[in-house]
Amino acid sequence: MPSTVVINAEQRAQIKEIVCDILEIEPADVTDTSLFKEDHNADSLGAIEILSSLERTFNAEIDQAELTRMVNLDGVVQVVEEALAK
Amino acid sequence: MTSAATLDAAGPAGSGPGSTGELVFSAWSAVSPFGTGAEAYSAGLRSATSAVGALDPEAYPGPYERAGLVDGFSAAAALGKKGTRTMDRVTALAVSTVGELLERCGSSLLERPERVGLVLGTGSGSVQSIMDFTRDSLTGDRPYLVDPARFPNTVMNRAAGQSAIWHGIKGPNTTIAGGWLTGLLALGYAARLHRGGHCDRVLCGAAEEFSVQRAWLEWHAAEEAARPPLGEGGAAWLLEPGDEARAAGREPLARLLTTRFRAYHRPQDAGPALTECVRGALAEAGVSGGAVRLVAPLGAPGEEYAVLRALPAGSDPEWIRCRPLLGDASAAATGFQLAAVLAAAGDGRPAAGELSLVTGIDRDGTVGCAVLAR
Repeated sequence: MPSTVVINAEQRAQIKEIVCDILEIEPADVTDTSLFKEDHNADSLGAIEILSSLERTFNAEIDQAELTRMVNLDGVVQVVEEALAK
Repeated sequence: MTSAATLDAAGPAGSGPGSTGELVFSAWSAVSPFGTGAEAYSAGLRSATSAVGALDPEAYPGPYERAGLVDGFSAAAALGKKGTRTMDRVTALAVSTVGELLERCGSSLLERPERVGLVLGTGSGSVQSIMDFTRDSLTGDRPYLVDPARFPNTVMNRAAGQSAIWHGIKGPNTTIAGGWLTGLLALGYAARLHRGGHCDRVLCGAAEEFSVQRAWLEWHAAEEAARPPLGEGGAAWLLEPGDEARAAGREPLARLLTTRFRAYHRPQDAGPALTECVRGALAEAGVSGGAVRLVAPLGAPGEEYAVLRALPAGSDPEWIRCRPLLGDASAAATGFQLAAVLAAAGDGRPAAGELSLVTGIDRDGTVGCAVLAR
């Protein structure tokens, strides 16, 4: 299903803040494509935390199957956009 | 149950040839209302000045006006920001206490981390974490809209598990809960764990946190006339065979002779049960009550009389009363008492060959004691 919602800059910053807070990394170290697991030592609980925090922040429902796509910031933004479009 | 015949036997990979099989306390530390570290704890006991102070009613809107808090303690302040974002207070107190103890043990202790056990006593875990998590689930838009990172805080073995993960302790990891007797029960368990050959040495202790939630639970559980201010913190010690302690350069502070527990049914039977318990422990250890020179009681009504009844007439031991100094530390209380005996040992009390007792009466029908020899 094509996305009909586009995350704005403010929301994107909000997502980045959530990710950085949970993975305990400096925002400057995270790029749109740096990998949470390989580049930032994220573990599976960290991934679940990010998903859960996004659900609460954006009042959206994100299926756990989407975790496989939430490997970097771009991936997370895309998943949130699709969740908001539903 | 382990049979008597195996109690003195070294385990498969336990103490080596020449070991007496006797466990000693060779290091200890505490994070308490007196401050962080063994020195602060010893100094606080020596000063005999209570660390119980007024509670900030805005930060702690509960039924108690006073408490013994570990001043300025937080997970981030004690352990750094990394890895502590969702760590609750009792876990942080435990991790800090074990860290302080490891520092006193020296770096060689964890050379074979899988041979070092950790036995930690707690209450229900953190009642604050359990209640907060449950409330989030009930009041959020959906029952599952909770912070998953806080879930580990809701299980009882969080403090012991996290302490081991944080410090790289890879031997058996046990959580013990038994009300006020927790520290004594953890001590008894640690000795059995070692005798069974499951580890070469054991880090053992107890931790408790202050929270408004715990305060309300304690308030409702206690008799109206007996609501001492609450305390918090952690105490921990290292148990190992005496010859191995000396080989590692750790001078034994005291020898563990035995722990003993007993149950009572009616409240008025608590004192006599403790008298029997202490008598039994002394007999089991094959020592005379006349050698008891130091007692660290929990502070229950009738407890000191019950202890004296187990000793020869005219006995006049030194009493170290922790509760008035630190508050009622619940699950950490008997741990603090053991630390107090070890602090006295560090100061040379009692004299070599003499005995110390740590005792307790739990309101839920159990009594217990430990006998330590200098």
